[in-house]
Amino acid sequence: MKGRIDPVQRALAQSRLDHLSRQMGHAMTRTARSPIFAQAHDFSCFLADARGFVVAQADGIPIHTGSGGFAVRAILRDAPGLAPGDAFLLNDPYLAGGNHLPDWVVAVPAFARGALAGFACVRAHQSDIGGGAAGTYNPEATEIFHEGIRLPVLRLIEVGRVREDLWRLLLANSRTPDLLDGDLRAMLGAARLGAAGLTQLAEEVGAAWCGISEAILAHAEALQRRAFQSLPPGTYEGEETTDTDGRNAALIRVQARLTIAASGEARFDFNGSSPQVEGFKNSPYANTVSAVGLALAAFFDPTIPRNEGRLRAVAIDALEGSCVNPRPPAPVTMCTVFLAHEIIHAVWKALAQADPERASAGWAKNLFGVMSGLRADGSRWVGYHAQAAAGSGAVAGRDGFDSIGHLCTLGGLAIPNVETQERDYPVRVLRQELRRDSGGAGCWRGGTGVHYAVRLLAPSTQSFRGEGVGAGGGYGICGGHDGAPGAMTIRFPDGREEPAPRYGLGSLPAGAELHADSPGGGGWGDPRARDPALVAADVRDGLLSVQAARDLYGVVCDVRGVIDRAATEALRAER
Amino acid sequence: MAGRRLPEKTGSRQTKVPLPNPSPVTALSVRSLRPPFRIGIDVGGTFTDLVLADADGALLVRKTPSTPAQPEDGVFTALALAAKALGRDAPGLVADTALLVHGSTVATNAVLEGKLAPIALLCTAGFRDTLAIRRGMRADPWDHRAPFPAPLVPRHLRLPVRGRLAPDGTEWEPLEEKDVLDAAETIGASDVEAVAIGFLHAYADPAHERRAAALLRQALGEHPAARHIVCSSEVLPIVGEYERIATVAMHAALAPRIARYLAALEARLKALGYPRQLLLVQSNGGACTVAQACARPANLVLSGPAAGVAALAALAGPETGEDFVAIEIGGTSCDVTLMRGRRVELAESLEIAGHPLAVPAVAIHTVGAGGGTIAGVDGAGALYAGPRGAGARPGPAGYGLGGTEPTVTDAQLLVGRLAPGPFAAGALTLDATLARAAIERRLAVPLGIALEDAAAGVLRLVTQAIAQAVEEITLRRGLDPRRFVLVAGGGAGPMFGCEVAERLGIARVLVPGLAGAFCAFGMLAADIRLDRSAPFSALLDGAAVAAAAEQLAALEDEARKELTGEGFDAETIVVQWEACLRYRGQHGSLRVAFGDAQGLRAAFEAEHEARFGHLQPGGVIEFVSLSLTASASLPRPSSRRHTHDAAPHETRRAVWFFGHGMMAARVLDSPPPHGMPLAGPALLALDTTTVVIPPGWAARTLAAGDILLEAAR
Repeated sequence: MKGRIDPVQRALAQSRLDHLSRQMGHAMTRTARSPIFAQAHDFSCFLADARGFVVAQADGIPIHTGSGGFAVRAILRDAPGLAPGDAFLLNDPYLAGGNHLPDWVVAVPAFARGALAGFACVRAHQSDIGGGAAGTYNPEATEIFHEGIRLPVLRLIEVGRVREDLWRLLLANSRTPDLLDGDLRAMLGAARLGAAGLTQLAEEVGAAWCGISEAILAHAEALQRRAFQSLPPGTYEGEETTDTDGRNAALIRVQARLTIAASGEARFDFNGSSPQVEGFKNSPYANTVSAVGLALAAFFDPTIPRNEGRLRAVAIDALEGSCVNPRPPAPVTMCTVFLAHEIIHAVWKALAQADPERASAGWAKNLFGVMSGLRADGSRWVGYHAQAAAGSGAVAGRDGFDSIGHLCTLGGLAIPNVETQERDYPVRVLRQELRRDSGGAGCWRGGTGVHYAVRLLAPSTQSFRGEGVGAGGGYGICGGHDGAPGAMTIRFPDGREEPAPRYGLGSLPAGAELHADSPGGGGWGDPRARDPALVAADVRDGLLSVQAARDLYGVVCDVRGVIDRAATEALRAER
Repeated sequence: MAGRRLPEKTGSRQTKVPLPNPSPVTALSVRSLRPPFRIGIDVGGTFTDLVLADADGALLVRKTPSTPAQPEDGVFTALALAAKALGRDAPGLVADTALLVHGSTVATNAVLEGKLAPIALLCTAGFRDTLAIRRGMRADPWDHRAPFPAPLVPRHLRLPVRGRLAPDGTEWEPLEEKDVLDAAETIGASDVEAVAIGFLHAYADPAHERRAAALLRQALGEHPAARHIVCSSEVLPIVGEYERIATVAMHAALAPRIARYLAALEARLKALGYPRQLLLVQSNGGACTVAQACARPANLVLSGPAAGVAALAALAGPETGEDFVAIEIGGTSCDVTLMRGRRVELAESLEIAGHPLAVPAVAIHTVGAGGGTIAGVDGAGALYAGPRGAGARPGPAGYGLGGTEPTVTDAQLLVGRLAPGPFAAGALTLDATLARAAIERRLAVPLGIALEDAAAGVLRLVTQAIAQAVEEITLRRGLDPRRFVLVAGGGAGPMFGCEVAERLGIARVLVPGLAGAFCAFGMLAADIRLDRSAPFSALLDGAAVAAAAEQLAALEDEARKELTGEGFDAETIVVQWEACLRYRGQHGSLRVAFGDAQGLRAAFEAEHEARFGHLQPGGVIEFVSLSLTASASLPRPSSRRHTHDAAPHETRRAVWFFGHGMMAARVLDSPPPHGMPLAGPALLALDTTTVVIPPGWAARTLAAGDILLEAAR
């Protein structure tokens, strides 16, 4: 980089890059075929500089934030002779900087004045990519080969010409070739739109482009460094575990050791984490970095630009062969949800020691799975039991959200209405209501989780993902308590009841019911410091028992929430 | 359809800004105005605006400060001012008034300030928490520290009632009347003022809700809540319990206050001798009667801005076409809206203070880019502009009211687009020294760049942000912004119009002549409008279309009865049928004009192709719902004219333009006379706004008094 960057030009360029990546997102939702894009927004659009660093990213799904650069740098490494009109495709976490196989990346290089200016990329979760189970998640996988087709860096389009043989190979490896075909075209369209915009911008600013893109990264890096400088220097540790790898009962430990030097230099060391596991929760390095990036953005100021410069302010060590940086052929598909959840929690716990005020209590782990069955005309319906969504952790100043989507989306996925659910699928939802005494007690309490019950009106197949069954309550922090664990049972039409399995597949007859209590989020701070009026309101609202109000919060009140002030003061003074 | 936030400018903060002098558009010889009169009155956060049109379309404008404690006081002050201008008294004015249309922020402010009535909700047992769970949707997932707003009904007043309908309306379980009576007991012992009833699948059969309402009304007797019982199946029979119940709860929570306000207003009008019905503007840009507003008061939350969008229709003409994208830029924000073929672009829903309302409303995209938008240098040395604003106090540094942070207005002052001295029709005085000091200290010095580069840099950033906002609202709908005329309104809009247009490839910019009271003027252009819908599930075929037509005919019958019952002429009622369709398996749906099976398929495919870029040839299409819009046209000005009397006074000064830097520009203090276009570089320094005419652009005054700016080809 030479010469001084015009600060006005830098600010204009950053705003244009952000706008351009949003336009790519609109193009995706406008043109993509499968509902996963338009409804769940399970994709992200990003722009990288000529060195492969992400300079702008539209608000896609939060767990995609931070891993895109690995893919672009794999292209720079493996595809010499980039030319205008080329487009690349990849997905493999071991070969091509991918995060997990269902997320395919289409990247289009942009040129200005005859030189590479950068890349416009779309990463998107495909409906089906072959492998051992329809719909990309195979809980039986023990090797990545069981999880779908592996794509190293592929030149899908060579100087404007589609490699038709390759295209046919891709379609041949999907159970939903029509959707894949349409979605790939949508991804290409959006990436080309981004590349054209990038070319235009780079041509307009001319020779200053390299300096400007570097200045954009350096700006985010400087803001993130300042954020670390706001913490006292030292070493902080956080650890989170899970008791299943999706196949077997197994204790998986994610350990994050954060070191902050007096200079603000920060390092996360995950080397105390468990070795890689047999099941599909292993987190490839790119996903681990993304999870750390998500945790940092949520902990610090979310307005720090979420480009890759931000991550230059922190070193991330993860031992090869561990669950946070597995070696091939370990399976990985579940990692964007679980292990991402555990990684984010471990990072948050370490940060909480450095700055308890900003700490977030743990989000509960979800326990709902997927149901499917056949319609009268033989077509298949597939739906989620998302009405069972679990509670989130509290932060200082807000109670946990009582029922919300996965942590890796930061609650960005919507729960369908019961009415829609009952119109779309042969089910009757019996209950979707907040639990009592389940949110982790605290000065700010954890989200409650819900009672969810559903009767299946037709024979169905259930794919269980009971991470939060018998476990899963979010951790309490700063003196707050853990959230209550979840539970799930199956009731058969003959009245027989049995516990639901954690993971795996099961067939249920018409009339069978699932009854779930989703786990609660963790509390923040000492429950006895909670405003008695808020405690009493929870009692009045039936979210807290009179007994728990007294025992956990030191508040004496009746079931209508009328507080006995004297008794409360006396009880709270006891400690 | 995504919900969206309410624009900032409808906020309720009362600002104390001295009243501007009467606008020159009122400088007609007003005593010559002939009845019958039509009057639009817009009660905004700061001012109450009145626009009166006479039999020939001549206009009179009056402004008075709003009176939030008793909003109707401002209305009558405005009427008295108008009467005085006409040499009459208020009874003499209203007696000759054929139409009085009112827009108000009363509902808006009640929501934003949390001044809602305490209410209870009767809901299906097992599903008490719909309003608290909010479908788990977060507006900005990254900002996870922000709490959800408190639900409109606390949990102990969300009262479960057993009884369950299936999606098709058949009964899975009968209504448990005892639960309704228990609920009545709880409500009777409370301070609740209104009750919402929202049972699962009630859209498919209103019987359970109706029975519960009747039982409740009877059991509550004289309790005030008995007067405001709102059933979801009556006011909003749509699929989706969260959005339906949230909307119905808002109707209930607003009902007592809105009913009181409108009753007071009507009574005082009647006492003055006004012989007709008072009409109100709704969020969809159409008008309704007081009775209709009381039945669905949440339909009023976008009342004022919606009228402003409807007013765009009045700009349509042979020279301007009828496709507009409007940027309305005030002190804090820029609102972008669309009108295509005289039809306001509507969104299916809106969001206010975090509460979703599933009612059709004008689509407004708001960005934090206004005159008071603050620029600065962040902790890592980067220039930013917005979204934070300086508000009316302290306002821009150049106002001399204590502000020290540089704003867009300060930048405009520094580069010669605004002049020191009286500003906003004399309401304020601009001080260039203060503006210069703020920009120097907060921008130029920390960035190490020249003062004028810093000021120009702020304007470049904000211009780009506004252009991007226009792209958001157009490209997202698959529309090419170059097809549109850019309407630049609000105090700061005309300063940005041409340069925003240039960035977007738009060749024509229109500055409305009545910029100061555009919303009140829009009320004169509104028609009565009533939206009704009903769920309808069936695969698209001839039999389904016949059944749908039968249902639409029944809906139409009800709508016509309602409108004629309110006294509107049956002859003027126009009803449009629409259907929401989707490919089987899709979750979203598209709304198209109703027709036969073939026509519906063609319309759906065309819309799908335009919005999403592809279609499924021969794909299975299904109905999701049916809807209709019934409108009754109101008498409206056949034309309008407002003249600018005085010949412009001309001066010269140095002004900064994009791509040119500082250069000498002509400055006129009123629009160029008819037939004498003004070529840039030039400024029109008008009373309430400044129009920037860059090199390569020319401005001319149209017959109606609007200013059209055109780029040289």
